[in-house]
This record gives sequence, C-alpha cells and structure tokens, in this order.
Amino acid sequence: MTEGATANGNRSQPLIRLENLTKRFPGQKRNAVDELTLEIFAGEIVILVGPSGSGKTTTLRMINRLIEPTSGRIFLEGEDVTAVNSDRLRRRMGYVIQQIGLFPHVTIANNIATVPKLLGWNKQRIRARVDELLELIGMDPAAYRDRYPKELSGGQSQRVGVARALAADPPVLLMDEPFSAIDPITRARLQNEFLQLQTQLRKTIVFVTHDIDEAIKMGDRIAILDDQSRVAQYDTPEQILAAPASAFVEDFIGAGASLKRLNLTRVADVGLVSWPTEHVTADRDEIRDAILGSDKGSVLLLDDERRPQRWLSMMDLEHTGTPLGEVGLPAQLMQQNATLYDALNEMLNSLQGATAVVDADGAYCGVIDIETVAAAIRAMRQDARRVLRGEEAVN
Amino acid sequence: MGEFLHYLNFRKGHLLDLTVAHAQIVLYAIAIATAISFVTAILVYRHERVAAIVLSIVATFLTIPSLALFTLLIPFVGLGAKPALIALVLYAMLPILRNTVVGLRSVDRAVIESAQGMGMNRLRRLAKIELPLAWPVILTGIRVATVLIVGIAALGAYVNGPGLGEDIFAGLSRIGTPTALHLTVSAILAAVLLALLLDSLYLVLGKLTTSRGIR
Repeated sequence: MTEGATANGNRSQPLIRLENLTKRFPGQKRNAVDELTLEIFAGEIVILVGPSGSGKTTTLRMINRLIEPTSGRIFLEGEDVTAVNSDRLRRRMGYVIQQIGLFPHVTIANNIATVPKLLGWNKQRIRARVDELLELIGMDPAAYRDRYPKELSGGQSQRVGVARALAADPPVLLMDEPFSAIDPITRARLQNEFLQLQTQLRKTIVFVTHDIDEAIKMGDRIAILDDQSRVAQYDTPEQILAAPASAFVEDFIGAGASLKRLNLTRVADVGLVSWPTEHVTADRDEIRDAILGSDKGSVLLLDDERRPQRWLSMMDLEHTGTPLGEVGLPAQLMQQNATLYDALNEMLNSLQGATAVVDADGAYCGVIDIETVAAAIRAMRQDARRVLRGEEAVN
Repeated sequence: MGEFLHYLNFRKGHLLDLTVAHAQIVLYAIAIATAISFVTAILVYRHERVAAIVLSIVATFLTIPSLALFTLLIPFVGLGAKPALIALVLYAMLPILRNTVVGLRSVDRAVIESAQGMGMNRLRRLAKIELPLAWPVILTGIRVATVLIVGIAALGAYVNGPGLGEDIFAGLSRIGTPTALHLTVSAILAAVLLALLLDSLYLVLGKLTTSRGIR
C-alpha cells in the first residue's frame, strides 16, 4: 500500500479505520474481502474503485455493518464500533445507494425526516431541518415538501436521497454508486453540485464506483481495489495518474491516462477568457461595437442578474427583421467546479467552441473556450511524455 | 313478478335480519383470517421455501368441497355458528395469506436496504415501510376473500350456521311449492347485494388507507 502525500491537515487520527477487515460469505471457499486495512481521514472523499467482484460494495456495507464482518475491526472516531448496536451506528452514517430507495409512500419531507425521527427530534426542529436541506439541494421547500417521490425526476430523486442521508448531520456519508443510474449529462451536473456541497459540508465520504473517470473527478483520495478488496494503490488521483503503483493499476486506469487528467482540472483552475458582454436590452449598434471592439467575433448577453442568456455574432445582427431576443444561440452554462472534461463534453454536445462559466448564483464569471481546453490537453500530454522519459512531472 | 315483490315486502324484516347475520359471520371470519394470515405471513415471507409450503397447505383447504368441510367440523365443534365460522376462516385464509406474502415480498429491495442503512430496525421497517407498501395488495386479498366467503357462508345453514343460507335451504327443501322459488331467489339476491356492497366498501377503504404516493 502506498501512503499518500500528507497534504491534508490533521493526519494524526483517522475518522474511520478498517483493521484486517475480512468477509467470507457462507458456502464460499474464498474471502470476499481479505484482511483489508484502510484509514480514512476527516473531510475527505475516499473512492473505492475496482473491477466488478473486487469486493468494494461488500467493503462499504461492512462499514455500516449492513454486512457483518467475519473478522477484523471497524473504528469510527477512535471508537471500536465492530460490536455496537448496528441500528444506532447507522444513524451516525448517511447512506446513499444507486437505486436511491426513497420511500414511495411518504412525502419528500418525511423521507428526509427519516433519521431525525428515529433520533426523536421534535417537530419544529425536523421541519426546520427539512426546509434547510431542501434549500441546500436547490429545491424550493414550499413546492417540494409535500410531494411524493414518484413526482420527481431522476436527478431530483438523487438530490433528495443525498438530503435524506445528510438529515441528522452525520459525520460520515457512505455512497454506493450514487450517480451510476443517471444519464451522463445530468450525472455530470449532479457530481458538480455534490462537490460544491462538499466544500461547505466537509463530510467524510466513502464512495464506491466502478468508473475510474468518476473516481478521478470526485476523489480526494482513491483506493484502487483488486480481487478480495486488496488495496492496489491508495493515493491522490494526481499521484495515481502520474505514478501507477503496479501493472494492475496501470491497466485499470486504462489508456489515455494523460487525458483522464481532464477530470482533475476544474474550469475555475484554468484561466477563463474574458468575453465581450452586453445587457440583454442593448441595441444593434451597441452590440456591433462590442463585437468589433474585440477579437472574439461574438457577444454574450447577460440579464439583470448577470446570468448569461444568448450568444450573438455579426451574422445574427444581419437578420434585421427579427427581434434581437430571438437570434443567436442560447448560452450553455458551466459551474466553476465543473471539470475540463465536462466543459469539453458540453462544447461537443452543443457544437459551440465556448461555454459560459457561472458562479453558484448563476452569475457570469468568464468563458472557457476550446483553445483553453486544447492548451490544457497539450500540457498534460507533454507532462506525460516527460514522465515516460523519466523526468519529473511539472505540475 | 308482482307476487315476488309482494313477498319481498312481506319478508323484508326477516331478510334484513338474515343479511345482517350473514354479514356478521363473514366479517368475523375475515377479521380472524386476516389476523392469522398477518402473523403467519410475517413469520414466513422472508423464507421462500417455508412460505411456499405454508401457502400450499392453505391452498388445500380451498380444494375441500365446502359442504364436506362444514360437515367434517361437526364432530369437533358441534352444530351452529362455530363450524361455519371455522370453515369460513379456512377459506378466507388463502387469498389473504397469499396476497400478504406476495405484497411483502414485492417491496422494492432498494427501499428496504435504504431503510436498514439509515438505522431502522426490523420491526420498524415492517410497520413503517413494508406493510404500508404491501397494503394495496393485502387489501385486494381481503376483498377477494370477502366476496368468496359471502357465497360460501350461505352453505353454513347446512350446519345450522347463521345467515341467508337459512332461506336458501328452506326454499330448496320445498321445491314444487310456490314459496320455494321466492325464498331461494330473495336470499340469493340479498347475498349478491351484500357482496357488491362489501366490495365497494373495500374500494372506498382502499382509497382512504392507501398513500397518495403509491396510488
């Protein structure tokens, strides 16, 4: 096992420690999980990733003892929880699964209130907490509180599932392929929203996925698991991409490791391009001047709250018969914490060479264009070649 | 036809008494069968093989011809309401037990896992998650059982049980006389109306007791 860089604050005591954790299912000859030791530090997202059958889900389910370990110990906040009451233990850990499993017969509010009710909170406190969480996941409490799960889209159900897991503010969140059942575009958005949430919440998260790209994007630290949950490498995504510990890891990362770093770099980390902008009420002359005053060839129209609305080019201005509000292209938006991979994906999908980047309130921050992404890719490939030649990677 | 209406008018008090007695024994039987089925279903639904065995045992009750079953019970409990009630409970068990087992087993695994993962113990999961979600299926079983035994209960009169069977058997034993047909037809009509009434009561009950989220 490779120990990671000690970049994260207090490394003295892990929040979760798995010690020689072993599981053998009845009637099987081999251990599904064999002598796994793993330390997870507070405030980190740790990804368990591996091929199917590697025992990653079994490992996750042993942490909240949905599967009881055959041997080994589990420590939470320094306390040995291997033998404590498992129902009480689970109330200290949020749990999100791929199928979400919202209770279809109770309202969104009551779904979210599950654990607070188990903990015996009073009504006002529960109600206030439910509303707070709905706000947090960007769903209007008045509109959604009394709805039922069947009235939600897949993405909304997933958000409610996360809110439900966070309800009693547990220090730990266990997530088993939480985004796998969702279409790719919504998935990217939910991932970015979740990372945004995590910057506020600083939960300790154990996250299972089979998708190395998701692992690289979401993880502060990745445990790549081989058969029987053997840790092939436990390190930061940067280190795993730059220096795979074994042939297995290299194989698992797959080809194009340098391009996978597109999943590591956030849009906000590369220089955003400043683009000429105008208010949506600007007239043709103002817009023409703005386009001619820069080399970008188009203008981004913003509304009163500086939210990007449409792109207008010189060509669009020539349709003099049509109101300005109906020409040009609608602006596609990217969050600042979206990755370059998301940005490239968005550009390919919308067939536009640039995407507007917005802050958490939806206000314009800048533009990321295809040249920026291409430059980042070039830099990554050069780095990779340098590593191949045995030089130190310039990061 | 006019003669029949005249008969109905003349006997309406008596018919109503019989119908109430009929409804009573049916509902008692349903209540007892539901209680037994619930306990049995909760004990067995998680064990596929045991559930299958129990269901096939209960299914054999239904294959016993009803008159034979009523008669078979006489040596044990004598004549009257008792053998009728016991036989009706046995007949009502299959639909209720089967639907309760099926209903509980068909609850989405992910829903149960998430409940368990949030720290709901077994009893609470059953009461708050599994039974409410299985309820529409269970209620359908109870409804089918009710309609089924409204018919069978008429045979209870054979062992001196209460209900509309009294008039049906009275009519059958007087075949050839003018009142025979009146007696039988009026009792059958009352039984059919009772079945329809109970059936629609269940529909209303289902509406009132099923969560809007799973309708």
